[in-house]
Amino acid sequence: MANALEIKHLVKSFGDLEVIKDVSLTADQGDVICIIGSSGSGKSTLLRCINLLETPNSGEVLVNGELIKMSLDKKGQPQPGDHLQVDRIRTKLAMVFQDFNLWSHMTVLQNVIEAPVHVQKINKIEATKCGLELLTKVGITEKADDYPSSLSGGQQQRVAIARALAVNPDILLFDEPTSSLDPELVGEVLKVMKSLAGEGRTMIVVTHEMGFAREVASKVVFLHNGRIEEQGAPSEIFNSPKSERLKQFLASNLEG
Amino acid sequence: MTISSGYFQMCEGLPGREGWLNFNLMCEKLPDLLKGVPLTIELVSISLFIGLFLALGIAMMRLSNNRVLNGFARGYVFYFRGSPLLVQVFLLYYGFGQFEFVQQSFLWPFLKEAYWCGILALTLNTGAYTAEIIRGGLQSVPFGQIESARAMGMSGLLLYRRIIFPIAFRQALPAYGNEMILMVKGTSLVSIITLMEITGIAKQIIAKYWTPVEIFLIAGLLYLILNFLVTQLVKYLEIKFTPYLRHPK
Amino acid sequence: MDILALLAFDDTGWGDEMLMGMVITLLVSVSAMAIGLVFSVFATMSKLSNNVFSRVLGNTYTTVVRGIPELLVIYLFFFGFNNALMAAAKSLFNYHEYFEFPVFLTAAIAVGIISGAYSTEVIRGSFLAVPKGQIEAAKSVGMSKFQIFHRILVPQVMRYALPGLGNVWQLTLKDTALISVMAIAEIMRTAQIAAGNTKEPFVFYIFAAILYLTLTTVSTHALNSAENWANKGVRRA
Repeated sequence: MANALEIKHLVKSFGDLEVIKDVSLTADQGDVICIIGSSGSGKSTLLRCINLLETPNSGEVLVNGELIKMSLDKKGQPQPGDHLQVDRIRTKLAMVFQDFNLWSHMTVLQNVIEAPVHVQKINKIEATKCGLELLTKVGITEKADDYPSSLSGGQQQRVAIARALAVNPDILLFDEPTSSLDPELVGEVLKVMKSLAGEGRTMIVVTHEMGFAREVASKVVFLHNGRIEEQGAPSEIFNSPKSERLKQFLASNLEG
Repeated sequence: MTISSGYFQMCEGLPGREGWLNFNLMCEKLPDLLKGVPLTIELVSISLFIGLFLALGIAMMRLSNNRVLNGFARGYVFYFRGSPLLVQVFLLYYGFGQFEFVQQSFLWPFLKEAYWCGILALTLNTGAYTAEIIRGGLQSVPFGQIESARAMGMSGLLLYRRIIFPIAFRQALPAYGNEMILMVKGTSLVSIITLMEITGIAKQIIAKYWTPVEIFLIAGLLYLILNFLVTQLVKYLEIKFTPYLRHPK
Repeated sequence: MDILALLAFDDTGWGDEMLMGMVITLLVSVSAMAIGLVFSVFATMSKLSNNVFSRVLGNTYTTVVRGIPELLVIYLFFFGFNNALMAAAKSLFNYHEYFEFPVFLTAAIAVGIISGAYSTEVIRGSFLAVPKGQIEAAKSVGMSKFQIFHRILVPQVMRYALPGLGNVWQLTLKDTALISVMAIAEIMRTAQIAAGNTKEPFVFYIFAAILYLTLTTVSTHALNSAENWANKGVRRA
């Protein structure tokens, strides 16, 4: 069976600035890969290249063995080759954002069932039933008919996770899901993420939460200046880091 | 004399009625329209200048706790912002003139002149709009900044002069820039009460030669130039007074 | 003559004529606003497009129309629109007969073009005010461009645009006073005729002002409730 996700020689630059320099990465079914690194190391860009929110300059992304087709536009810039394919693959790659990005004009439940009903064309009654189940799972059933602006950050992020789960994705992408939250709200979101990992879901998580990475990840990737500096099991990365930079990074991020 | 005859000779050489635009006429009528520019500028600057002081007064009344003053300011702003400027002009010029006591008052020498009536209407109108801009500016001053000034021992006039007015002024500047442009455009209405500023002259030429597009283009261009100058002035003031909002580079 | 007789709803009083004028004012305003909104959709699209030519076109429209006195635009249409239409009919359809385009529509188009320039700025601003994350989230669940447009963008743009469009409506309402120069019997024109006939300009211009104030005040209240309705889901600061 094909790998859940395969990234080959990915390069991404903004203008002259090369942000991702030849990164390759593989995730198997059920893997939880945590990408760590200081800010500006390219972690978020790498994640956003996977679902084509950023268009990579070169390299390949394969989801369940299917290559995302790329082509060149008139100016010779790379662009997605087949928009229908991109839309289809994106439903297999749900994403949770740092700033939640819940649609402000829809209620919590409407947010969750929007994509199932309108992208996947699932019957609305069916979708609502699943949506309510997902809201129960993330522990905010009672807020189903509220608007996002009346929720706390932690609650909003849990709704965002439910929204991501609603498309029944093969892989969940998390882009610093706890970085915008007040410290006392981080725990409730991490708890939900842990339970998802426990179900055997494939997750790619960009995070600053070293405790979470150590406890939950099957593989930890340390990104520095757009390159993978070191990767391995959490025990290797946290207990016996090899590179000097990783040692420095851990020293400044592990205390407290 | 020689310059102007040379100019009209040059106009002769331009394509006339037979083309899709009568350039000959546009060129010939440009000096006539230019004669309207000083009056337009005069009307705008006088009414903006007096209107600003009027607006300050109205804004202060609007923010005061005195119910009479506050109510008057509310009613004033309500009337002048809620009805068309044209109605205000007509009411002043034709409406008040019908009364015996107005005709006998010391104001009559002013009110019977379209010029002063126009200026009065424009002044009263901009006074209402500007008062709201000033009020918005004053209310936008963050409370924390006033508090910290108080904590430093500032109060009363000093607080207003050093902290509240400067912040409010910078805040209100863009909106006031828009108001200035509205006034430039507003002056065109006094042409209806016979004042020969740019639009008045334009209407006269259009009605005589039946060349609406040509004259619209020149008159419009003159207004665009005036408004461009206004925007440049506001931009200059913004750069001068808000260095902390300037973008790096 | 006392005021009640002047404003009576009979053959000698002008009350019915003035009220009819108010209806005409309202009709022109609604038509102009609608025409303006159609214009502004196209103008917004061209202002936000990647094509330099269409961007220049859109910007020229809004800058020129907002920088020129409304009265001048009205004169252009009053004196020039019918001839332009006849010239167009001649060259496009080889139609040589004389015709008169309804002056009411000419007025609505003239005011509509002015109103549309202001609406364009409002709608463009609202498009740019939608946070990028809202669109990214829609992309991330695989919505197509069209779905993102009508499920996410349009509802949010409408909400952001409503207060601004309310202001444009008030502006349009007041701008229609200018079409009195086209001899359309709206509030202002009727007041002028009545003032001329009765030699009582004060009464009729005050009454005209009251009618406009009624229209703007009722609009303000209607717009406020529309905003409250549209703002469900938005926390008040």
